[in-house]
Amino acid sequence: MTAAAMDSRPRVPFYRRPVAARILMPIAVIVVWYLVYWTLGSRIFEPPHRVFEFMWNELTLETRLRNGKGPSNLYQMFGLTVVRLFAGFAIAMVVGTVIGLAMGLSKSVNAFFHDWVMAVLAMPALVWALFLGLVFGPQGNQAPIYACILAGIPFVIINVREGVRNTPKELFDMARAFGVPQNKITRNVLLPSLMPFLFAAVRYAFSVGWKGLVIAEVFASDSGMGWAIKFWYDAHQTRGVIGYALFFVAFALALEKLLFEPLAEKAFKWRPRVGDVGVVEEQFLLDQTVEGALEVEQFTGGESDG
Amino acid sequence: MAEIKVKNLHKEFGVGDDRVVALENVNLDIEGHVFVSIVGPSGCGKSTLLNILSGIETASSGTVDITQDSHDANPGYVFQAARLLPWRSVMENLMFVQKERDDEARARCQRYLDMVQLGDKGDKFPGELSGGMQQRVGIARAFSIEPDVLFMDEPFSHLDAITARSLRRELHEMWKQTKKTVLFVTHDVGEAVELSNRILVFAKGGKLEDDITVDLPFPRDPSDDAVAVAKAQVLRKFEELDLLAT
Ligand SMILES: Nc1ncnc2c1ncn2[C@@H]1O[C@H](COP(=O)(O)OP(=O)(O)O)[C@@H](O)[C@H]1O
Ligand SMILES: [Mg+2]
Repeated sequence: MTAAAMDSRPRVPFYRRPVAARILMPIAVIVVWYLVYWTLGSRIFEPPHRVFEFMWNELTLETRLRNGKGPSNLYQMFGLTVVRLFAGFAIAMVVGTVIGLAMGLSKSVNAFFHDWVMAVLAMPALVWALFLGLVFGPQGNQAPIYACILAGIPFVIINVREGVRNTPKELFDMARAFGVPQNKITRNVLLPSLMPFLFAAVRYAFSVGWKGLVIAEVFASDSGMGWAIKFWYDAHQTRGVIGYALFFVAFALALEKLLFEPLAEKAFKWRPRVGDVGVVEEQFLLDQTVEGALEVEQFTGGESDG
Repeated sequence: MAEIKVKNLHKEFGVGDDRVVALENVNLDIEGHVFVSIVGPSGCGKSTLLNILSGIETASSGTVDITQDSHDANPGYVFQAARLLPWRSVMENLMFVQKERDDEARARCQRYLDMVQLGDKGDKFPGELSGGMQQRVGIARAFSIEPDVLFMDEPFSHLDAITARSLRRELHEMWKQTKKTVLFVTHDVGEAVELSNRILVFAKGGKLEDDITVDLPFPRDPSDDAVAVAKAQVLRKFEELDLLAT
């Protein structure tokens, strides 16, 4: 008998494992891309290797953007956009958390803000970008930062409000019956129960805010990643548009894999199955909807007693 | 020795058309190491009574007085659903209700986890345990603060019959060893007769209708004649009070 035959575990062939499908996807995309390129025969639509060459040249600072005295390379553009992203994100988180808390605690405050939150949510990011461009002009950081805030803040507000509404009353009652002091209750009951909602808020504020920000840079700014995409568009350089779009996606993916996934792993270790986490887990790159934000699952300690 | 005195206790919820009387003029005197069951139809104020006694709710009028051996002691409470913190380990759930976070408290928690046969589950999260195990953790938590008084609100009603039966035995053993004053809410008359020295019968509208002493030796086997007779007596009482229909 051979060693392989003695190993009784059923072995799934590589091509049938999910990881194989995952690797197959980018290969398929590149193949289709080449096929389209060859059939189209267009000089504007460029093949993958030119795009990758372009990206390499950007990364090694071979090419320069002509932007007067403004920022002129990938790293400067990227740096500007990231600074704006963090500024807009921080403001959206702080203001959104305050409003969301107030809306969760008071019916009147909820009634006051509710329609406005929905209105801000309903407004396409593009409209904000155009409007903010008119108001603030293309110089400086204001238009992109405000666009980032306006895109992200409704999701922060809604998630925090739902978190407050879903605080587990029966766990607070339990703690009170046992005479646990208030600060210990806050640390061990209130904050952990808000965590999934705050986490969802952070993710939404980042992912949606990031998209709003880049749109504003395209239409209402003279710098940043969005502006760079527009620059290559104006120059009729497909490789520039696709290349910068791929940088954009790479950043989002890196944030997801290196920041949000490990954080979620650590924070929600107590959940029986990681796959259950729903909205909190895997929404960074998906298109967001209000329903999405409201899907944050309930996780109270148990059914309420009769 | 613990003593619970309740005088003219009245509790209502809501106002106007929504007004509900949950407890009406309840008077009680419970003294010593007794196991007292509270039975009655659903909605007759059993949980409300425990919630007022434990300080979760406040009374509309009347007084409640609990005297314990050590004056800063806190009663223990076992709920219908285990009410564990899902984001804390089993051990941390017990530590959460301790006054001090020292080695002594930790050893005590471990002792009560051992007592409910979950000594090796301290590092697990509640979500990793079965319903019966979670309820055991809830029981260990209540015992771990070594209270003189223990409130239990239908602690076994969510469990399957076999698990409930073995937990009843465990509970009786723990009560015998630790000699606490237990107030045990149940809608299961058999359970009440099996476990208690005294049965309080509540009727709709929150009125305390009867106070029955069960004077039989422990352990009580539900299939035992004397136990069956006592159970029949309590059920007859229910019939007289017209509680069975509701
Ligand atoms: N927080 C509350 N608000 C309004 N009504 C309540 C509340 N808690 C209990 N009640 C009412 O008080 C009555 C007694 O409830 P409860 O003590 O839970 O009954 P039991 O535990 O005997 O089933 C019921 O009519 C119930 O609807
Ligand atoms: Mg009840």
